[in-house]
Amino acid sequence: MKKPASEKSRSFRRQHKLAPYLFISPFLITFLVFGFYPILQSLRLSLYATNGPKSHVFVGLSNYQFLFGDADFRTAVWNTLVYAFWSVFLQLPLALGLAMLLSQKWIKARGLLRMAFFSPNLMGQAFVAVLFGILYVPQYGLVNRALHPLLPRLVPLDTKWLQNPNLVMPAIVLASLWMYVGFNMIYFLAALQSVDQELYEAARVDGANAWHQFRAVTVPGIKPVAVFVLVTATIGSFQLYELPYLMLNNSAGPKNAGLTIVMYLYQHGFVTGDLGLASAIGWSLALGVLVLSLFQLRMTGVYKGEAS
Amino acid sequence: MRFFPYGKAALSFLILSLLSGSWIGWNAKMAASRRTPPGTQKLTFWVFAKAHYEAYRKALPAFEAAHPGVQVDMQLVSNDGLAARLQNSFLADLDVPDMVEIEISSSGTFFRGPLKDVGFADLTDRIHQTGLWDKMVHARFAPYTSRGRIFGLPHDVHPVQLAYRRDLVEAAGVDVSKIQTWDDFIRVGHQLTKLNERYMIDLSDSSTDNVETCLFQRGGGYFDPQGKCIFDNDVAVQTLCWYVPLVAGPHRIGNSLGGGQVLTKAVEDGYVLFLVAPDWRSKSFEKDIPRVAGKMALMPLPAVTPGGARTSTWGGTMLGITKRCKNQDLAWQMAMHLYLDKPQLAERFRQTNILPAMQEAWDQPAFHEPNPYYSNQPLGDTYARLAPSVPFQYSSPFIQTAKAKLGAALVSCVQEYNAHPDRDLTPFVRATLKENADDVRKLIARNPY
Repeated sequence: MKKPASEKSRSFRRQHKLAPYLFISPFLITFLVFGFYPILQSLRLSLYATNGPKSHVFVGLSNYQFLFGDADFRTAVWNTLVYAFWSVFLQLPLALGLAMLLSQKWIKARGLLRMAFFSPNLMGQAFVAVLFGILYVPQYGLVNRALHPLLPRLVPLDTKWLQNPNLVMPAIVLASLWMYVGFNMIYFLAALQSVDQELYEAARVDGANAWHQFRAVTVPGIKPVAVFVLVTATIGSFQLYELPYLMLNNSAGPKNAGLTIVMYLYQHGFVTGDLGLASAIGWSLALGVLVLSLFQLRMTGVYKGEAS
Repeated sequence: MRFFPYGKAALSFLILSLLSGSWIGWNAKMAASRRTPPGTQKLTFWVFAKAHYEAYRKALPAFEAAHPGVQVDMQLVSNDGLAARLQNSFLADLDVPDMVEIEISSSGTFFRGPLKDVGFADLTDRIHQTGLWDKMVHARFAPYTSRGRIFGLPHDVHPVQLAYRRDLVEAAGVDVSKIQTWDDFIRVGHQLTKLNERYMIDLSDSSTDNVETCLFQRGGGYFDPQGKCIFDNDVAVQTLCWYVPLVAGPHRIGNSLGGGQVLTKAVEDGYVLFLVAPDWRSKSFEKDIPRVAGKMALMPLPAVTPGGARTSTWGGTMLGITKRCKNQDLAWQMAMHLYLDKPQLAERFRQTNILPAMQEAWDQPAFHEPNPYYSNQPLGDTYARLAPSVPFQYSSPFIQTAKAKLGAALVSCVQEYNAHPDRDLTPFVRATLKENADDVRKLIARNPY
């Protein structure tokens, strides 16, 4: 027996209403169970002193209090900020410069060079850490062997890049430059290709030199991508962990010179089992990154629609 | 699409997910049944040291033959991975192996929290009832003891000697038998060291490995038996004031380039002449630096004062049985098989140079055999003679932090000494050690358990 037309239409409407929820339900359920609930749980945990999930004692805000009074946390924050600073102010200009160079038509084998500069990113941080660990070896390492003949007084053969607290951060920044400059270059290359070439022609007709063209045409043209790269590079810098940890032989290095916030979190959460303090560190990190990202977006004019 | 109104794509995804889910589930079930044949008891055993793993592989068939129906699943896991995974599995009540070997510097972290939360079975009563307490070197139980309860069997003693390039040292006219104290050693060191070309000894100016060996030799340590942090006491201050000028300043005689291939090259080139050599490391030298075979020799560690202890300790391993192990008696029998069987211990010594903690085993012929790598010295004898003097070292759940803090203090003192080699280092050392030890105490004070 066939259903009447009105009943069929009602059933179709009901299905039509339910369908979107059904489609998003796999994500929603997964997110609620594995994302939202752990986030809430970690906020609760940050108010407890714990010995793993089994034993916990309510301590209120004392985890946060301890954190902000702890010299190691301050060192971790400082190291992370220094790394983030160099990531932004060294890595991004280099990536942009490389992208501009490799977008020049007169350069031969541009495809090959782009691939060559991007390829370090195809390796994991673990490989890069091991590789640079070998390059930085005192007395016999390639870095000292290359630099010593050029700067004999400044770089003795037994310069200990990873054992001297003053050299640890430059060593990490150098390794990360090698890894990420090519990666960010790809974003800038894509952005540069989308800049209208007629604007350059018009600028040249108006007598603009290369610097003027860069300031007046290139920068506004790539601004949305640049803001994206800036924010993601900053967030990525705050998540720094594997590279220094492995380069420094599974430690924070001499005098905690390579200690980052995530490494500090790992030490407390997974080495000493204090999940409460680790949660407090995680929340502090998340809030810090949020504030910094909002600040960056504001400074780059995204909120005023300038970047679009 | 009469029966499924959301389209072919959604239906395909649904079918795919059902198929893949079923396949994963079926595969896991099959794998589990393959792993444990019916009627078989399985003991899972995690090991972090490759040398131990290889030695146990030879020892386990005899245990399995003596226990029909028992299968041992031994797995080699990296030390850092093992410590972190096991710790978190204990804390989260997840599956853990039946038996585990733990490296001494991680062992203390497993004893955090209330005793009921410690994931290892309390072995104290078994150790005393079976007379093991009297058979093994007492000092080696200390790092695996928490609040009076013993949670691990010591695998080794790890006495420390100095290994040296005999050919180069003799060529320089040095008679090592006349080096009795560190003062003698430093005097010779000043003659043989040429900055940036050759150093008397491989000593680190940033890692705690060597300084803690010196600290233990002087009777110091990170913690006392009650778990109180003591690495800023007078012994530690004296040790650091003595150690820093060995690795820093214009008159240093020690330098370390690192481990692995760099160390191999440094020894081959004669860049360093003496190396701190616990028993386990003496085998590493044999394997990693074969070119100097027959040119190396061993000597006891110089004493701090005339007539003082000529050894210290570096490293260690405990064997623990987890509380979740279903057949702890069987696990104990396996532990006895691996740690107390004299012929096997002798064979293992040949493979690893590691002196077992059970003293009765040291009379086996293997321990008296000449070792060609070390100029035919009877390697086992040289270590066994020193073993009774191995110092106690006590652990704590905060051992990792304490090590990092001592390392930080060392680096600060090295920087200070490099900047002001003529200044009295003592006040700076005292203040730096106190500051770092206070950080550890602050962390301990937070612990509500």
